[in-house]
Amino acid sequence: MKWATRRGCHVDRAACAWLIRRFIDPAAAFAFVDDPDDLPPDAQAFDIPGAALSHHNGRCSFEAFLRRYDLGDPALLAIGEIVHDADLGDERYGAPEAPGLDVLIRGLSLTLADHEVIDASRPLFGGLYAFKQRQLQLGREPA
Amino acid sequence: MGQWVLLAYRMPREPSTPRISVWRALKRLGALQVSDGLVAVPLDARTREQLTWLAGEVVDHGGEATIWLGQPGSAAEERALVARMKAQIAADYRAVERAAAEASSDQASTRRTLARLRRELRRIGLRDYFPGAARARAAAAVERLGRRLEAAS
Repeated sequence: MKWATRRGCHVDRAACAWLIRRFIDPAAAFAFVDDPDDLPPDAQAFDIPGAALSHHNGRCSFEAFLRRYDLGDPALLAIGEIVHDADLGDERYGAPEAPGLDVLIRGLSLTLADHEVIDASRPLFGGLYAFKQRQLQLGREPA
Repeated sequence: MGQWVLLAYRMPREPSTPRISVWRALKRLGALQVSDGLVAVPLDARTREQLTWLAGEVVDHGGEATIWLGQPGSAAEERALVARMKAQIAADYRAVERAAAEASSDQASTRRTLARLRRELRRIGLRDYFPGAARARAAAAVERLGRRLEAAS
């Protein structure tokens, strides 16, 4: 399936792309546009004004995905809190990982094209997911 | 002159919760109130995106909002806008500077104060588009506090 979002991927879009490939559509193809009017008609839009899978009621697009696709895995919810704090900067969940993750992805977006940002950040989110799963299992941070 | 992004908006008076949430987000972004229902920030990818999401939030709650890109009519007008933004944020920096200078001599509480002030500096930095002397003074005061703590331990 084809997915489309805005150009200039930061933390929320990078996280959504990882989530899509890992849990929703392993064969996902991504397109990037400047204006919502340029969205390909056959693509599912996300993190772009006017889309259902976007910011709503003070929540970021990653959180919209978790709700829309009924992804209730506690490790994913924990990543949702991190992405929310990183993207909106409102410290709603006080996630200590948020400022660091934000800086890392912003750095990638300075040096890479959007497709590359998505590919490069994949193992980062994969690792974060593994870490959060393990942390929830152990009840403390893994070594 | 620089490019600015503006949000023109109107929200129903009641309920007040969404109005307050928009107002808080604008404050976090360091937006300048140009007049009633019109705010401005220097244009970059992040400010444009944040204002765009806020416009959506306004509309979601029964209000009206439009995003504009533009520049002030004259350099003097821009200087006046920048001066107001700087004055606004200088007060926040002064509070950090004062808190750093007034930190107690108790080590444990100083450590907590230091962590809090570093976070606060970062927060202010995210809404400071024209960092200047006020930021430098506040950062220096926090650094001094850090050195004092290191020397004591």
